[in-house]
Order: sequence, then C-alpha cells, then structure tokens
Amino acid sequence: MDLQIDGNPDYGQLRVHLGPGETFLAEGGSMSWMDVGMNVRARLMGGFLRALIRKITGGESLFVGEYSCDRGGEVAFSPARPGTVMQRTMTGDSITLTGGSFFACTPGIELSTKFGGLRSVFSGEGLFFMECSGTGELFFNSFGSIIEKEIDGSFVVDTGHVVAWEPGLSYTIRGMGGLKSTVLSGEGLVMEFSGRGKLYLQTRTMGGIASWLTPFVG
Amino acid sequence: MQVEAMQRGAFGWALVKLNSGEKFISEAGAMFRVSSNIEIDVTTRSRSSGGLLSGVRRMIAGESFFLSTYTASGGRGGEVGLAPKLQGEVAVIDCDSRNRWVCAGGSYLGSSPDLDIDTQFQGLRGVFSGESLSFLSVEGAGPLIVNAFGKLTEVDVAGHLTVDTGHVVAFEESLTYSIDKAGGSWVQSFLTSEGLTLKFFGHGRLYLQSHNPDEFGKSVGPLLPPRSS
Repeated sequence: MDLQIDGNPDYGQLRVHLGPGETFLAEGGSMSWMDVGMNVRARLMGGFLRALIRKITGGESLFVGEYSCDRGGEVAFSPARPGTVMQRTMTGDSITLTGGSFFACTPGIELSTKFGGLRSVFSGEGLFFMECSGTGELFFNSFGSIIEKEIDGSFVVDTGHVVAWEPGLSYTIRGMGGLKSTVLSGEGLVMEFSGRGKLYLQTRTMGGIASWLTPFVG
Repeated sequence: MQVEAMQRGAFGWALVKLNSGEKFISEAGAMFRVSSNIEIDVTTRSRSSGGLLSGVRRMIAGESFFLSTYTASGGRGGEVGLAPKLQGEVAVIDCDSRNRWVCAGGSYLGSSPDLDIDTQFQGLRGVFSGESLSFLSVEGAGPLIVNAFGKLTEVDVAGHLTVDTGHVVAFEESLTYSIDKAGGSWVQSFLTSEGLTLKFFGHGRLYLQSHNPDEFGKSVGPLLPPRSS
C-alpha cells in the first residue's frame, strides 16, 4: 500500500495505491476519484449505536467507505473542509480526535466514541470525541493548517481550534480572565490543557467562517 | 493576447494582456483590476450562441447570467486581472479547433471571444446527480480560463477513471462519460455518501479539483442561521 499526501497546508488530499487484497477506510463522501475496478462498501466503525452517536453529535458520517481492488489500483480522497491532512503512525498507542477531524485509516485502527463529559458542552468541539487506537496509519484533517504543539505543563487554546491530543493530556474549560473580558474580548471560553503530550491545533475554525458568513445569509 | 495563470495555491488568479483592439470575455464580477483604457461591456451573449435564452441557460448551468466583455481601446494594449469567487487554483487551457472541451458550470472563469461557449443540457442525468452538474461546451481555438476549489490536477486519462461529480473541472470531448453509482450497489453508494460518480472512458485530458465545493457548503451550511423569508 502506498499512501501519499499532497496539497498541504491549504488543500491537503490523500492518494492511496492499493495492492490486490488490501483495504483502506475513509470517511463517507470523501472519495474524489478512483480506478474503475475499485470496490466500495459501507462499513460502520465501532458498532451502529456509536456510529449513530458520532453522526448526530460529532459531525462525522455514519458510515465509512471501505475500498479494495482485486487487481490493485488507485483511489484519491479529499476532506470536505480545505486544510491540512495529517498522517500518524499508530503503534498500539491512542489519540483523541475532535468531531469532524477523522479522515481515513488502514484496517488495523480502531475507532471508538467517547463522551466528553459535561465540560465538553462548552468546548465548542462537540459532545463526543473519537478515540483512535490500534496499529496502522491514521489520517485526520483540519480547517486551515495544523500546528503541532508539544505540551509539558499547561497551555490555553481557544475553543474550536483543537483537532487532536495525545492521552497524556487532559483539559478543563474556563473563561478567559473575568466575565467582562470574556464577553468583550470575543475570546469567550478557552480549553486549558495540562499534562504531557502533543496537541494538534487548527489555524481556522468552522464557527469562525460561519459567523463571518451569517450576515450575508439572505 | 496573452493569458497567464498567476499564482499556485489557494489564491490563484489570471492576468490577461490584450493588444490594442482585442477583446476578452469573463464571468461577470470576476474582474478585480484593469488598465484605464479597457472598456467593459456587460452582455448576456457570447459570440454565436446569443440572446436572452442563452443567458438563462447559462444561469441554469451554474454560471452568472451576464458575461463581461473587455476591449483594449485608445490604440493601446491593456491588462485585465480576473479572480474566481472560490479559493483555489486557476488554469489556462489552450483550446484548439481539433478538440472541443467541456467545462463544469461552476469552473468557467473567462475565455477568448474566438471560443464558442454553449450550455450542454445534461438531461435527466444532470438532474439526478444531485450536484450542480452542468457543463459548458467550448469550441474553437483560443485560451479558456478555468478555476478550481483547491488544487488543480491534470490527468491524462487512457482507459477508465471514476470521478466524484463535485471534482470535475474540465475535460476534452474525446472522453466520453456515463453517470454511475460509486460502489457495487446503489445502497452501498448511498450509505458511504458517495452518491453518483462520472465514469470516464477513452483518451484525453481531464482537470480535477482537489476539493468538492458542495461538500464544503454542506459542512458550513448547518452552522448558519435559517434564511429569513
């Protein structure tokens, strides 16, 4: 299997060359072009109920597409949002993705839905996160480009900018400064991460583009 | 006349250099810079397929009703800068009279007046595709400017290629296509949200865009307030 990302940071896409008998999984609706002999099957990741929860709360599609080609062949995927596609090699470790960040993976990766707790209501990242574990290649995507930040101690991020974090990190929600500055600065609530591990941030937010567009909705 | 795609990446645009008396046509609203001696005229017609009806048909094809015509006047040459609405790359296709091109409705940015642009009625296959799938047929010799949502990729098709409907920018008419499901069955295609694809056959050049505007629209749309009626 040959995996190739191009177009980063603004228009990342993924090209996959599958050998005979190999399979690859990608978010529903993300295929952009493929060889004619490619087979596509719908698969639920992590059971129906969890997939359903993910769809309703996490902005992920209910099914992922499973691609295979008897003779071998090529297929290309692009995420719905323009931005960066990240590849991460998983070797039995895990990583937490925010809703809408999952893009594609090889069959050895397991996805499970994790309730973020009440605090996630305020995180601006959806109520449920996706925990990815297992062995293989995982791909996730952002809106805008991705900033990788190695955290040791604590770090504050505006809600909506978080893409993924490693299990060594945990977060709390808090206001930025007092009530006055929270309301007036437009920074609103922030997520404060603490612990040790890598944090992936995106430079733009969907909430940002949506609120910019809102006055133009006729 | 000299037409050049100016920038790779998210904010591509095209620079058109006209000699004295030469004309160029673009989608209305695409001009962002122009020399002072360029005259701008807004029409509903391109050269041969004229009149109000062709304007209506263009609108159905996802294009603006009006086209802008630029003329270098005053006995001097001049420049026109054209930029698309969507972020992404721009390409100049040198059409020649041997081969016709087909351009997806939303991908047309501008063209030489020597090119005849006509709307192709897609029939029922256009209606069922669920995407803004409508094509313009481009005939003649001269530069055609297309724009993409995201990165543009040129593919030389020799044989077959399956493309999601939202990723087609333009292709040579030597390629034939049929609209088909993505997966092995309609149920599978529906469940994976892949819906319909275009299956291309034959030999020819095909321009693809890395991202699907409809998919992006679907991911922003739910975050917007409802339209006030």
